[in-house]
Amino acid sequence: MSINTIDSVDRFLQGEKEPSGSWVFIVLGIVLSLSFLLLYSILYPGQGLPVISDLVPVFSGVFDSGIWFFILGTMIGLFSILGRLLLEATSE
Amino acid sequence: MDTILSTMFYFWLSLFVVLFLVQRGLWIFSDVAKGTVSFMLEKALGPGADLVEGRPGSGARSWIMQGALWLIFASMFTFTSMWLTHDPDALHSLASWGYSANADELASAGVYATLYGSVSMFIIGCSFHIIPKLAGTELVSETNANLMSFIWTVSVLIILIGSQNNNILGLDIIPLGVMLNTVVLLAVIMNQLLTVSNKTRNIAMPGWLILIALLSSPILSIVSIISGALDDNVGQWLTYHIFGGTFFFAGVAGIALYSSSVTSGNPLWSKTLVGVTLIGSIFTINPFGDVTGQMVIDVFGPLAENNTVSFSNQDMLSASFLMALVSIPVLAFASNMLVTMRGSDMFVDAPDSSGNAELNLGSWLIIPIALGSLFVQTDTVSGTYELVGISNSLSVMAGWLVLVPLSLGAALSLYPELVGRHLFSQSRARWAFWMMTGGAIFGLSITMIADFMDMALAESLVEDPSSLSEELRKVGSVMFYGVVIGSIFHSLNMVTGMFRGEIISQKSITSSSISVETYSLVSPTTVRRILASGADLDTEVIPTGENDEKGSATKI
Repeated sequence: MSINTIDSVDRFLQGEKEPSGSWVFIVLGIVLSLSFLLLYSILYPGQGLPVISDLVPVFSGVFDSGIWFFILGTMIGLFSILGRLLLEATSE
Repeated sequence: MDTILSTMFYFWLSLFVVLFLVQRGLWIFSDVAKGTVSFMLEKALGPGADLVEGRPGSGARSWIMQGALWLIFASMFTFTSMWLTHDPDALHSLASWGYSANADELASAGVYATLYGSVSMFIIGCSFHIIPKLAGTELVSETNANLMSFIWTVSVLIILIGSQNNNILGLDIIPLGVMLNTVVLLAVIMNQLLTVSNKTRNIAMPGWLILIALLSSPILSIVSIISGALDDNVGQWLTYHIFGGTFFFAGVAGIALYSSSVTSGNPLWSKTLVGVTLIGSIFTINPFGDVTGQMVIDVFGPLAENNTVSFSNQDMLSASFLMALVSIPVLAFASNMLVTMRGSDMFVDAPDSSGNAELNLGSWLIIPIALGSLFVQTDTVSGTYELVGISNSLSVMAGWLVLVPLSLGAALSLYPELVGRHLFSQSRARWAFWMMTGGAIFGLSITMIADFMDMALAESLVEDPSSLSEELRKVGSVMFYGVVIGSIFHSLNMVTGMFRGEIISQKSITSSSISVETYSLVSPTTVRRILASGADLDTEVIPTGENDEKGSATKI
């Protein structure tokens, strides 16, 4: 009598399709980190965030209009297309 | 004779001579011409031909994918110009890089990117698939078609640079880009004409719409230069509108009519209406677009003089009459599209087919926007100038709610057959459609309301600008951002679909033509069961007689 066992040594499996619920955890992570940032300002009032607070004044007077948020959104979209092309071209 | 009628007469005459030659060939020179053109399309390219692939469908695919990517830039330029209208200093920080953003120049870039980048690339891309299909043959040179798409993109880039700064090192940049563009268009025309010369059957009417669209552009340029229309303000206005009517309207109508049948699985409703659309696109003046011929002045550079638009009495009558006639081809086209997609029954056969929603939207909105444009253009032609304030919003509407949906819808409906895969996500395509449609309808309608307010204030001689109008423009531009997001969604969906979209099976390609012609009804059953067996609404149900007599053993 033979016993069928799955040989799991050195075998990596990855699905081709992305599960539809995975983005929920990414959003949850972002919301959680934002809430921790709020907590930071409560615990250390008047203290700037490390690195970020030093970088922000560099851009003052540059991104001083709401249009930059929209341009940033478009750039993210364009880079996501470029990233997808590069990823697919190099994946095989 | 006046400018309008004389220019149109020369255009009609030249177009018919060319069409006659296309039908009859070049007498004893036909073979020589074919050989020379074949050589020019492939061998003469030299090593350039090795840069791209020449597999069947690769040419059309390349044009359509680049057209989709241009949509993002086109919508972004239009959005930015709308924003700068109410906040002119929003991008002042770019001055440190030597670029001063200006609403008018960005609007011009948006128009060029929309028309030359997206719509034209969709028209030409779809034509590379449609013409060989209708002619029952293969495209003569896929390699040339593929390579030319990249050169076209370079030419659009040059035009966009010219729209921001038209004079660099003493050279007019836009005419330079247009010259390159014309060379590519000539290669496209030669490729298509050679394909048509190998036809194995008569080409259906949508194919002729596309051919006339392609041929009209160089013919119109030559006629306008020779007839002197370019030096005349009325001639410039006319050249702009004939180009819009023949290249854009006829081209978009051709690919949309073909796709309406493909996407719905229904036969094209009326050949006569396609004929009316075809004749109408040549013999009438299309009112879509700008109220001046500024684009013609920019495109032809030193060949066109800059004049103020002023119509003579005779020109005014001719232009108004020929523009009024445009309602005939527009109605013929819209009705043919809508009835074809609806089919012979009350159901839309494939409501989820990619491109179906866009084609429906364009077919519905072409009528009100054409009527609105007709009023605005007639107002300008007659010299009244009461509606000129809304001309810009209406022109952008014609682009984003008629030309883009129809050409994008056609491209999306042909996508599965060209790529061999479905779009990556049908849900994302739906989101993209709603974002683009909602953004364009609400964004541009709100901007138009602000235009009306400004016009009313100007009429009442109020000097201070209205803060409400400015707020409305803000809301309008933010809503138009939906078009940018929709364009990104569509492009990402198409790019990802090329690699990860569901592979189409042979069955799904031809599903529209598979039907059970007869169904034998032997016992009472539900309509659901009949439909599930592969029957459709045209299947003939034949009741088979039943016998209630008691059966017995079969005699052998």
